[in-house]
Amino acid sequence: MTVENLSLHYLTRRGAVRAVDDVSFQLTRGETLGLVGESGCGKTSLATALLAMPSPPGRIVSGRILVEGTDILTLPEPALRSRIRWEKISMVFQGAMNSLTPVYTVGRQMRETLQRHRPASRAEAESLIERYVRLVGLPPEVVHRYPHELSGGMKQRVVIAAALFLEPRIVVMDEPTTALDVIVQAQILNTIKELKTALDLSLIFITHDLATEAEVADRILVMYAGRVVETAANEHVFGGEACHPYTAMLLAATPRLHRRASGLAFIPGTPPDLLDPPKGCRFRARCPFAFARCGEEPPLREVSPGHEVACWRFE
Amino acid sequence: MTGGGALLAVSDLAVSFSVRRSLRQVLAGQRSLVRAVDGISFGVGRQEILGLIGESGCGKTTTGRLVMKLLRPSAGSISFDGMDITRASGMEAARYRRRAQMIFQDPYASMNPRFRVRDVLAEPLSIHRVGAGRRERAGLIEKALAEVKLEPVEEYLDRFPHMLSGGQRQRVATARALILSPELLIADEPVSMIDLSTRAEILAMMKEVQRARGLSILYITHDISTARFFADRLAVMYLGRIVETGSPEDIVERPAHPYTRALISAVPEPEPGRVKTIRALPISGEVPSAARIPPGCRFHPRCPSATEHCRRDPEPVLEDVGPGHAAACRRWKEI
Amino acid sequence: MLLLFLAGAALEKRLITYPLTDSRWHDITYWDELPANAPPAWTNALARQKSAVSLLSAPTRRTEETSGSARLVTDVFSYEYRYDLPPRDLLIHFRAAGDMPVALTLTRPDGEEITLSREQVAGAEGTDVRISLDRSAGQAAFGLLQEHEPADVMAGADADRIRPTSVLFAQGAPGMLANPVALKGTYQITLLAVESTEKARISDESLSVVGRVSGLLGTDSSRRDLWSGVVAGIKWALLIGLLTAFVSVGIGVIWGVTAAYFGGAVNWLMQRIFEIFSNQPLLPLLIVISAVFKPSIWFLILIMSVFFWTGPVKAVYALALQIREETFIEASRALGARSRRIIFRHMVPLLIPYAFASMALSVPGAVVYESTVSLLGLGDSSIVTWGQVLHDAFTGGAVLGGLWWWVVPPGLMISLMGMTFSFIGFAMDAILHPKLRVR
Repeated sequence: MTVENLSLHYLTRRGAVRAVDDVSFQLTRGETLGLVGESGCGKTSLATALLAMPSPPGRIVSGRILVEGTDILTLPEPALRSRIRWEKISMVFQGAMNSLTPVYTVGRQMRETLQRHRPASRAEAESLIERYVRLVGLPPEVVHRYPHELSGGMKQRVVIAAALFLEPRIVVMDEPTTALDVIVQAQILNTIKELKTALDLSLIFITHDLATEAEVADRILVMYAGRVVETAANEHVFGGEACHPYTAMLLAATPRLHRRASGLAFIPGTPPDLLDPPKGCRFRARCPFAFARCGEEPPLREVSPGHEVACWRFE
Repeated sequence: MTGGGALLAVSDLAVSFSVRRSLRQVLAGQRSLVRAVDGISFGVGRQEILGLIGESGCGKTTTGRLVMKLLRPSAGSISFDGMDITRASGMEAARYRRRAQMIFQDPYASMNPRFRVRDVLAEPLSIHRVGAGRRERAGLIEKALAEVKLEPVEEYLDRFPHMLSGGQRQRVATARALILSPELLIADEPVSMIDLSTRAEILAMMKEVQRARGLSILYITHDISTARFFADRLAVMYLGRIVETGSPEDIVERPAHPYTRALISAVPEPEPGRVKTIRALPISGEVPSAARIPPGCRFHPRCPSATEHCRRDPEPVLEDVGPGHAAACRRWKEI
Repeated sequence: MLLLFLAGAALEKRLITYPLTDSRWHDITYWDELPANAPPAWTNALARQKSAVSLLSAPTRRTEETSGSARLVTDVFSYEYRYDLPPRDLLIHFRAAGDMPVALTLTRPDGEEITLSREQVAGAEGTDVRISLDRSAGQAAFGLLQEHEPADVMAGADADRIRPTSVLFAQGAPGMLANPVALKGTYQITLLAVESTEKARISDESLSVVGRVSGLLGTDSSRRDLWSGVVAGIKWALLIGLLTAFVSVGIGVIWGVTAAYFGGAVNWLMQRIFEIFSNQPLLPLLIVISAVFKPSIWFLILIMSVFFWTGPVKAVYALALQIREETFIEASRALGARSRRIIFRHMVPLLIPYAFASMALSVPGAVVYESTVSLLGLGDSSIVTWGQVLHDAFTGGAVLGGLWWWVVPPGLMISLMGMTFSFIGFAMDAILHPKLRVR
């Protein structure tokens, strides 16, 4: 997948909130791209944009999303529904495990989703569902259970299975483990890794927790205030070669269990208002290294192979 | 730990709730008992921060409420500064409430949305009749806000909770807990609903306050990483019991109880090279319901090193595994 | 709508033509100048034959002449008569002190001058004197008839049975007894009084035309101006409605919150008491109480409040239960707050928006209950309420007599007031409900 100059704005009464502002990146086959940033940086908005489904009042105002050569943003809605969503790209939404209807069994809900995309007999649907339920590590009886009878971890696995059973190539996961306990989280991350190799998936994994990203992502994309400020390989970011001040500070603020660090760092201040973003580098107000040139918006530039940073310090 | 004995001592504390299951069971006269806290004992020393860690459902939040006397225990005792307060009520309870205070997890929910910051902070003063007149009370309120670094104070006094950020709200909640100058603070997940980048700031503020005032804090959280830096001692809870206690370093680097080990191994680390590995998690299955606690050692169904004895023998109690380090597992040496 | 009502109540003194309506509703003499059962004045616009309208006027010209030891006071009243149907009566009022002879003359537009009456007024210090044409001008009218009607018609005429005004305002022509045609124009009524003694004095002279139609809403059978009655009723309706609503909702809210907060045995007890009260049929009870005790309005309000409180309780209970689970309530308890503080400083204030909506919806109920009780004749007779007016209407044969102006306005007002508050209540409900989720 290639994303070029994507912008998504929320058109509110007070003006356009520029949630995603001119974002470009590439996802290579079989890679897990980790999208990381704090709340409000635009990552969830970007996720909805990738499926061409901005939640109102959001609108994709510019850019292209190329999937297998086609710009899906040019496709009409019916085509998107029948050919793209869930077929080529699927998504595990934030808090999806809580959006399961308590009235129907889990299996029935999965079957309904399946049958909306593929005409299949009940028997065919059920066997397909069973296959994927096993794949995510659940016992097949789970399909007969109601959501409230399942634990958080189990519900999340159900949702992941539902995102996979139409065999998409790309799966976007928005904070899939954030609400879960740490042990369950670790178990699900293991499952995700196994699924990725078994099904040859390419993942976009969104979270605000850098530590989790370290566990799953091959490449990291750091977002701040609607823009991408850094893209780098996992080893570079966590190996200490992160360049952008925000990334560095985010790393410093992420608590580590085993390091002998004396205390946690924090980033003073708050993210800028996306209704009227400041001129120049958006991180300027909170950056300890800001200097004169930061009044001008730095472009994303490659500083070493596969490593791009949007910061004037590296020119 | 500084001298004078523990400020807060809890002994065999337990609380259970009865839950009706299905109509069938009601007719059969069965009642499920959810043993949320099933006999725990611990102490918080003076000027000490004890971190109570565990996953959701382990009973740590309930423990906090029990200590705060928001819940009545079914068994056990709580003593504060040498006095048994388990069954205290009325005047005694009111006196206890001046010396022990609580900070809640959700900073927005813990304040009445119609109260301004000024009103939120005035409430404890008015309840306990502290402060002779309006001016004195206003002074106390302003000092409290300054202590939690919400300055300039005038800017915040008249705001409503929805006009504050998450971090600011939690500061106000902290100020409210501090305004009566308590000796014990019970902090229930104080930063889990706050942005990552501000978490450290709030915790730093709380630690500074603790040092300045010599407070004891019972810090309840599921986030082991922050607990490691914030607390002086840790206690790990599982399914209503404490399974291990020790210094943060002991717990993190040399966990003795199998559950603690699983917990530590499950924490993600921002280190390179972890993408390729599937982490070995020395634990299986899910947390059982507190209504159906497994016999014997309650962790045995999930323990990778469990034996028949673990199921048949009575539940293990905390025994020393090192200086200041105790775990509730009889086989800790072999594992 | 509400503003209109409030304005009406507030400006009552200015609006109503008869300021002492309230206290004098049952005093016949107060209303003596008005016609009985007269439709509203504006119906003239709709009627083919215009009726004379009641009015009160001061003298157009007043002269005093002194001749010798006596003073001659001449008042001339001008009256524009443009109607087809003459007024029922003309009244001349004045205040007299001492003895004096008084003469009343009518000058018609056609030039005829008729002496209406000659009287000797004997008054002690400051007596109110009223000369009514109806009573005193019979002879004069008869005389006018004789001038114009043929003898055979006169033979059948009875002086006592003639309505003076029908004749005096009719054109002088044969047939004026049976089919009077109105003589339109300016009439002048001259009052001549001789203040013969030193102490004799005449003052405050006024002419009152008792029309066939009167006022903004007509009159009832007791000659009371209904507009004044209706406007006077506004404040009572507002009072009854709002006071009952306020007290009953106040009790209801506190009841619901307390029951929800304490739960357990307290709640159980409160629920049972609630059930006892809410199962009472209020209307029959009110009727019985009113019949037996003849209560004042305040007592009535009290009784109604005692039963109305059950209205909001259930909803408040549910809401209060929700609020009780909020973390900030728990936080208050952790701070050491006592139950009373939590109930009154936290829970009740959060329910105030709902309470207002509930109050608005209670008002119509209270007004209607009181109206019903008054309609049955059991209400407080010392005040004017719409229900009372309606009661008088029914007993006074308004429906049968086609006196729509008596029945419709009060009934309409009751409905309007009910509607006003219901709409306010619904609107508040709609606005508040989503927000009522505390956050």
